[in-house]
Amino acid sequence: MPSDAPTDTQPASAGQEEGSAPLSRAERLAQQATPERGGDPLVAVILTWLVPGAGHAYLGRMAFAGIAFLVVQGLYLIGVVLSDGMFLEYLPNEMRTRFAAALSPEAGNLGALIVHVKMFGFGYPYPRVWPSTMDLGTALTATSGVLNVLLMSRAHFDARHPARAERAPLGPALAAASCWVLPGLGQFLQGRKRRGLLCAALLLSLFAVACYMAQGANLDRERHFYYWAGQFMLGLPALVAEFVHGHPILTDMPSRVDAGIVMGCVAGLLNILVMLDAYGYSEAQHLGTEPPRSPKSKARQAAEAGAQEDPA
Amino acid sequence: MSDWLIHLVLFVFACTVIVAVSCLFADADDEDAWRAFPKRWLGFMGGCLVVVLLMLLFEHTFASVK
Repeated sequence: MPSDAPTDTQPASAGQEEGSAPLSRAERLAQQATPERGGDPLVAVILTWLVPGAGHAYLGRMAFAGIAFLVVQGLYLIGVVLSDGMFLEYLPNEMRTRFAAALSPEAGNLGALIVHVKMFGFGYPYPRVWPSTMDLGTALTATSGVLNVLLMSRAHFDARHPARAERAPLGPALAAASCWVLPGLGQFLQGRKRRGLLCAALLLSLFAVACYMAQGANLDRERHFYYWAGQFMLGLPALVAEFVHGHPILTDMPSRVDAGIVMGCVAGLLNILVMLDAYGYSEAQHLGTEPPRSPKSKARQAAEAGAQEDPA
Repeated sequence: MSDWLIHLVLFVFACTVIVAVSCLFADADDEDAWRAFPKRWLGFMGGCLVVVLLMLLFEHTFASVK
């Protein structure tokens, strides 16, 4: 979409008088960000939650909206076809309540999930054999939910910050999505390589220990529906482990399976913090503000700045 | 290795990862994040110890089958 926003290479004229000192990159980005609003961020988020891409259509980005709709809903549709719409039949009878699906990753694509529940519900009153592509199908529907959450965060950001410089740094939603592909990848792409590697090492080692303790039982959505949902937030590593390790046939539950499934779930939930960290850093870069810091860090920075200004 | 010790090692490992990631999340500056790590780690472990003691107390008081 053509944009009349000043590019990174163009001089920022707004608020800069002739002869004054050139503005820094952060100041120029801040000037681009503040003057206009694309729409109400909350409306954009809710619309995207119900229909992927609708938030961007509301913001006037029709091409992006169309592609987002096709990708997210296409993934969900293929997943439903491959799993025969049976993912809620994983739940045992006593857990089949009205809001049972609310804690699944599919809830990120709420509109599709509502249609899914209306059409398939909890299946028939008698057990059925899972289709051979069940695991792939449910992985795709869950991926669709996570992608739509990322799309919602993108819609929220685009509503607040409609102007985008041509050579802008990595977008917040893309940074968060990178962390879902591999924990720490977003930080790595932002240039914070040490932090990215550390996040990857911490979370992947926790996940590996979890798989070892549970002997792979934690990777099975049928066995641990809700723990699997938490672990799914680890992203691609969890999916790859599930498809490589397979779904082991266990004659007896491993003695430390409980520790394994909890640690796997914790690894996935901690990756949400890593994704938020990447999002916050990129957002600050785009808006030209300070990245999130603790009060102590701010105080230390202020003290150091004060000492530099007044060395006496 | 005894089962009790294995559980303790696993618990400390999981706590260390949780506190490390929370430190990184709280502060964009790596050095400041690491400076806060020991205090946060001790605080987290202390909090867990309090929860364990409370659970043992409640179990002993209300759920004992002796």
